Amino acid sequence: MTSRPAQIATIAGKEIHDALRTHVLSLLTGFLILAAMVSLTVSSIALHAEYLTYVQSRDLLLSLGKSINDLVPPAFFPLKLLRGFVEHVEIIGAVLGIVLGYRAAAVERGHSTLMLIMTRPLGRTAFLAGKLAGNMVLIVAGLAATFALGALALFVISGVGLGAADLLRIAIVFAAAILYVGSFFLLGFILALGFARLPTALLVAFAVWLTLVLIAPQIGDTMDPDNQVAGGVFRKLGIAKPEEKEILKSFATYETIRDDIEQASPAKHFERFSFAVLGIKDIYNGQPLADVILDRLADLWWLLGIFAGLVLYLFARPLNIARLSKEQ
Amino acid sequence: MDPAIGIDRLSKRYGSLAALDNLTLEIDRSEIFGFLGHNGAGKTTTINILTTLLAPTSGSASICGCDVVADSMKARQHIGYVPENVRLYDSMTARDNLLFFARLSGVREPSQRIGEVLAILDCPELATKRVGDMSKGQRQRIGLAQAILHRPDVLFLDEPTSGLDPLGIKTLRDLIVKLNRTLGMTIFMNTHLISEVSKTCTSIGVLNHGRLAYRDTIAGVLARFGDDQTLEELYLSLTPAAAA
Repeated sequence: MTSRPAQIATIAGKEIHDALRTHVLSLLTGFLILAAMVSLTVSSIALHAEYLTYVQSRDLLLSLGKSINDLVPPAFFPLKLLRGFVEHVEIIGAVLGIVLGYRAAAVERGHSTLMLIMTRPLGRTAFLAGKLAGNMVLIVAGLAATFALGALALFVISGVGLGAADLLRIAIVFAAAILYVGSFFLLGFILALGFARLPTALLVAFAVWLTLVLIAPQIGDTMDPDNQVAGGVFRKLGIAKPEEKEILKSFATYETIRDDIEQASPAKHFERFSFAVLGIKDIYNGQPLADVILDRLADLWWLLGIFAGLVLYLFARPLNIARLSKEQ
Repeated sequence: MDPAIGIDRLSKRYGSLAALDNLTLEIDRSEIFGFLGHNGAGKTTTINILTTLLAPTSGSASICGCDVVADSMKARQHIGYVPENVRLYDSMTARDNLLFFARLSGVREPSQRIGEVLAILDCPELATKRVGDMSKGQRQRIGLAQAILHRPDVLFLDEPTSGLDPLGIKTLRDLIVKLNRTLGMTIFMNTHLISEVSKTCTSIGVLNHGRLAYRDTIAGVLARFGDDQTLEELYLSLTPAAAA
């Protein structure tokens, strides 16, 4: 009889082999990388345009013989260019997870092989662990390629070498992205194992994706008073931060509802954590990494909790015989 | 020696529906047993319980003395299973498919065993062919190959001839007999046609609404019904109430 680790490795190996052969991983990762590169390029063009505006203004003031002391040069933080990159990982990474999860179950159900596997001397736990391990390797590989190319492109585009501290921040966001995409893999896998009809499972998975990744964060953003006016309503009105906080106290219930809607979205937790660690959010820019992580620890716990909860559910839920083969 | 398959007062209920009702059956080693029944009679439920895929509501079943519920991992070592319309992994070659199942079953020197099994099934040329490019008959052979790789004592076949052309049916029938005679495997097959079992099986059982309506050796069946009756006609003979 084969040992359990060997059986898990066999299942995981086949999963990796399958995904590489069918190009499903390379296609989705390629698309994610392409989107991430486009966003990096757009960000760098915007930054370059901002710099040019500054140079033109400065030259104009100097040509008029005026002082340039009041002219603030644009700040340059290369990691801030990763804003669009993070947003693409958030949206396309979740799709990658769902597709891998759906595929992991559908390929077995569609070919009646799940039934055959479950008649081998192999526990349900070993089967699920093999599937999870194989697909997590695929997710880690896909995200590693995306983040490595992202960091490289950042260096090439900005012309500024990334220091060890910058790379550490990117690595931390990479780890959070694994939890985030892994959660969507589990969602797709659990639904495709549980639903009577596979297309229904895919439909429900994408309905959840639409709700949690696109709609909930959008509602939260739309309800944010600071997003009602370009540049921020309080800044436009010249209201200082302490006064802003006082005003918002009168809208505590509204703020709680808005925050709860955002909290329901794992995408928002990933975004808040990543934006803080990379210094994309102004209040965290230039702050020590440990302080930033401590401040956003709740988001990390959320990501970890969602992933761990889905893993527990996957292993606790018995496999339904009626879902082992072709659609019912 | 324990029987190949022992079933004792086995029942399976889905809510108020009894898919299996107090089924008791014993199948000796090296038998080829044909299990007949109309759609919904409980044949597949029986196979699902015997292959450890489904837990019974009450009663017990064992394979070579291993209880299919309490000792399911051991029971699985004794069984091979070919579901109806087996497909395997389309994008993989027959060898890769078999290698995968051999590893899951703990087969030692799997490559050598795959060669042996394909030789027994007279299809070594299929090893490098993608399963997706195979005919139904060829796929059925590779399905059989995956089921016997670990040399099980009992082989379960669910409607093995379904969808095969006459030549494919004859070839499969010959293979089943060959596996039984050369490897001594007990074979349990669900099927529809008496004409089919008469040429392959050594004994049959007929399931009617979850109950065993008839059990006999093939010689006994042929003496009683002839070899060209359909399942429907057999039922009418066995259950006069249904005919009325």
